[in-house]
Amino acid sequence: MSNLAGIPYYVLEFGDELVYFTPYTITLFLLALTFTIFVLVSRPERQVDIAFGGDAYTTKEITISEMRFRRFMAIACGLASMGAMVTGDIFNFTLFTAMVGITNVGIVAAVKSPHVQNAAFQYGLVALTATVPLFGGAAVYAAATGSLSMIELAKGTLPAVPFVAKAFLVLGVIGEGMAPFYAAKAEMFRAPGAPYVIMCSLSSLLIFLRVIEVVMLG
Amino acid sequence: MIAELVLATVFGLLLLGIHRKVIARIQRRPGPPVWQEILHMLKFSFKSTWVPATASATLFIGVVLVAIGIWTAAFFVVFTGGSLLVVFAIYMLHKIVEHGFGLSSGSPYGKFGGVRSVISAASEIPLFVSVAAIAIFTRSFTLSDIVLYQQVHGPLLFIAFPAAIAMYLVILSKMPSGPFSIVESKELVSGYKTEHFGVWRAGLEVCNGLKTTVLFSTFILVFIGQVPILWMVVGMVLLVISLSFACALTPMLSPFDSVTVQTIVTGLMLCYGTFLYVGGVA
Repeated sequence: MSNLAGIPYYVLEFGDELVYFTPYTITLFLLALTFTIFVLVSRPERQVDIAFGGDAYTTKEITISEMRFRRFMAIACGLASMGAMVTGDIFNFTLFTAMVGITNVGIVAAVKSPHVQNAAFQYGLVALTATVPLFGGAAVYAAATGSLSMIELAKGTLPAVPFVAKAFLVLGVIGEGMAPFYAAKAEMFRAPGAPYVIMCSLSSLLIFLRVIEVVMLG
Repeated sequence: MIAELVLATVFGLLLLGIHRKVIARIQRRPGPPVWQEILHMLKFSFKSTWVPATASATLFIGVVLVAIGIWTAAFFVVFTGGSLLVVFAIYMLHKIVEHGFGLSSGSPYGKFGGVRSVISAASEIPLFVSVAAIAIFTRSFTLSDIVLYQQVHGPLLFIAFPAAIAMYLVILSKMPSGPFSIVESKELVSGYKTEHFGVWRAGLEVCNGLKTTVLFSTFILVFIGQVPILWMVVGMVLLVISLSFACALTPMLSPFDSVTVQTIVTGLMLCYGTFLYVGGVA
């Protein structure tokens, strides 16, 4: 069970820090990379609104300045997601996760719609609150095992990780946008700009998938 | 392996054709021939293709390639006995694909289909608990290890029956015309795929065929074990017939009810998973 995601194909070491690619993490990393490339090369769609019951419709336009800001935030979100997918350090994982929460708010913050702004504000509150158990979980990992390295935890030679540390970590990730907290995010998806908005849902899902691997270690 | 991939796609589309036929016969309609979905895929391959003027063109096209890519990867993972966790991840990421399909066109129907897809993400959590329950028994997430475990201990269908039920419901939520098919319900025209026509729709049909084969074969491998190919085919046909009965006899739920039912299933599965983990059943 400790060697959950398979034997790493490749390990890149930066002193104590390291990045590793297993079949599982490389799948998630490639998805994050693909959609980040879409953000880089796509232009936003012109969202059509229909007045149901009538035949009137309007298309929403995104201004250049708004598009630039949102594209920047979506790329930052993609980079944070990629980092979270391949990092071998639990503290770095929590940092990337927190960054995903912040950039998710940023992706829709420039949209001039009260529904979207309200949803972004509410989601921002949940995401910020969730950073407490998120970083708390990492702290308990360090206190209980003396290491934050996923490779060391996977070896099974360190003391067992307390259940509460894993629970905190999962709770923190759920707060960044998984059920039931994604209810606020659904309203954020009203915003036009598909290539950017899709990063909000993709990043949360990827982080959730990665934390499943993380909590199985140790 | 290309031949296996094509065969899996065609067989998956045939299963979807059987699904439509069985539903029609239960409802006392003649229904389309069982190879209708294969004809659909071929027909769309040669129809005129366009990108809507309002669409985000790169995403509109790119998401079709991603859809085919992820299920091709899942197919190879299943048939090489790889990690069940990767299949689980790909299944969840299919939500993002549906979301991308819906949002990229600019159409409000597609957008609502895409948003419903993300909102119904609760349906994926039972799959995770199901996978976790299997791992508690088999001590591995690798399909080849799970198959070996069943050769010694017997099918997981009997050992972890609630996990099988949960995975069955997850597959049901992905079947067309089912109680949880809110992403493509008719008040949204065709939901997230409304604006994808021509070659793009043909690509989506290929993805649906592959997805059906992968999910069904995963279910049989995980809960019954390695069986001869003929029995695998028979098992998949029986599985699709049972799903067709569920789809034909159950009305489509409203989005709210759909998410509520899936959340209840999630809660029950979490209780089951906790019972296994704490009770040390394995």
